[in-house]
Amino acid sequence: MKETRVITRRDFLRGTAGVALTVAFHSGISATAQAKQKAKVVLIRNAEVLTVGGKVHGEILGQMLDEALRALLVEKEPAQAWRKLFKASDIVGIKSNVWYNMPTPKELEGALQRRLMEVGIPEKNIGIGDRRVLSNPIFLNSTALINARPVRTHHWSGIGGCIKNYITFVSNWSDYHGEACSDLGKIWTYPLVQGKTRLNILSALQPQFYGRGAHFFDRRYVWPYKGLIVGTDPVAVDAVGARLLQVKRTAYFGEDRPLDVPPIHITVADKKYHLGVSDLNRIDLIKLGWREEVLI
Amino acid sequence: MRVWILLFILNLILTPARMANGGRNEPMKLEISFPAETGGWKWDGKVRSFHPRNLFDYMDGAAELYLAYRFQSLDVYQLEKSGQPPLTIEIFRMGSSADAYGIFSFERQDKEAGIGQESESGGGMLRFWKGQYFVSIYGEGEGPEIESTIIRLGKEVAQAIPQRGPAPKLIANLPGTQVGLIQKSIRYLRSHVLLNQRYFIANQNILHLNPQTEAVLAQYLRGTHKVHLLLIQYPTEKKAEDALHSFKKAYMPEATEKGFLKTEDRKWTMAERQGEFILAVFGAPALADADELIKGTEAKLQEGGK
Repeated sequence: MKETRVITRRDFLRGTAGVALTVAFHSGISATAQAKQKAKVVLIRNAEVLTVGGKVHGEILGQMLDEALRALLVEKEPAQAWRKLFKASDIVGIKSNVWYNMPTPKELEGALQRRLMEVGIPEKNIGIGDRRVLSNPIFLNSTALINARPVRTHHWSGIGGCIKNYITFVSNWSDYHGEACSDLGKIWTYPLVQGKTRLNILSALQPQFYGRGAHFFDRRYVWPYKGLIVGTDPVAVDAVGARLLQVKRTAYFGEDRPLDVPPIHITVADKKYHLGVSDLNRIDLIKLGWREEVLI
Repeated sequence: MRVWILLFILNLILTPARMANGGRNEPMKLEISFPAETGGWKWDGKVRSFHPRNLFDYMDGAAELYLAYRFQSLDVYQLEKSGQPPLTIEIFRMGSSADAYGIFSFERQDKEAGIGQESESGGGMLRFWKGQYFVSIYGEGEGPEIESTIIRLGKEVAQAIPQRGPAPKLIANLPGTQVGLIQKSIRYLRSHVLLNQRYFIANQNILHLNPQTEAVLAQYLRGTHKVHLLLIQYPTEKKAEDALHSFKKAYMPEATEKGFLKTEDRKWTMAERQGEFILAVFGAPALADADELIKGTEAKLQEGGK
């Protein structure tokens, strides 16, 4: 059996971790082909989207979503962009996240549902779910998925992002906890989800950049960033999200404070499962809206 | 009349003698009690209990951390007060007092609160360890009233835990504050996954950490630089030698003989074996800094801190 390549701290110091991962996970794509692949991600922020108490202003959030999609798909009108991704005959599962400390905002779920209905999809063909997707007929019969969740640090995988959000599409969660949850991308290759995800959204309205305790949550480390990170490429969206958390940690602590676990699953999703682009140098990040303390 | 919460914990006492004799592991009841009302917050009357097999039901993503410190059981209590956020008490029984210390040390960052054997308080959360128990008390919100009630509750719970226990002996081998030790940075570990969470070394377990090994990681200040010292104790010298060989081969293949090198960040890494111990320094600004920490640890080991 071929010995798996060890990736050490020195690979990260050299900036060759990506190369090392490619070797480690036996990528089937040539270096040339990978070099050509690029991704686009939209970061949109609005200073008014949260009230002083942290409540989400639904109307503003909807506008942010529309504007992000319009820019992402280079359309003049948001409605055209939505129609580019979905058609009236689609059955769509909106994969949210119910983690009680930081759930997917109801306002975001609602905005997504309304946009899908505006495309012409009947309400009965739209489902919103997380823990019970495996028994939800909408998800089981879905033709398309939207992946929407808050971005946060995660004790075992480095970040809780779009790739990790599909853990509930399998029942044996603990099987994916090995080596910093590196194999989460595998879930995206299963028939229930493979090729169905049209849109990935990280809610960075109030991200969590550091965690502790049994629930890995400490409100001191949640901040009102007031943004959404949007893309069709889940790997690129997560790579941008991870970068945001990393930069915020450094800014907050005044020293290099790496993520608790290097989010190796993002790179593996790229290099091994070819789900998207993890290299920030190959991600075209379009920044829209409020720019104060944008960090990235 | 004061009402008290009674915790009856089924505690399987697995003494080596019993196991060696093939004796039955009979459950023993331990009892801890503390007031059911503090500062106007009242216990809601429910206890949620968890064991290693269902700990994942309680915590999303962090259960492995507790299991790595030989988690035995968890009891969770909630206290409520009208118009105030609820308070949660989590009482973890770990495999030993060293494990309780370990889980405490792993996330320690805030100021000492003077509760239990060691504690910290900040951000509406109190954490402490005493004996084989690790306790966490927190509120869903912050404020002076919540903070003071959490501290009072913590004192009562700590008082209710009957016995103290020793911290891991290995810690005594760390060179002290005179050479820049940052006390709060000491982490006691048994797994390479946890080591990587505090200081990433390699994706694979190149230092052969396992439940039979013990490790301490600590930071030392060198000017503005933070240097990491890692000390690992293996069951035998042979296992330590094998682990050192594995580490050097993967991490510093160009310096396996001399045992030190300048890495790509222009800082120094040094590693060596002393008996059943591996001593390693990472990120030293000068070779002399690495050498001083290694020699300081060697001296401690020779003093018999082990």
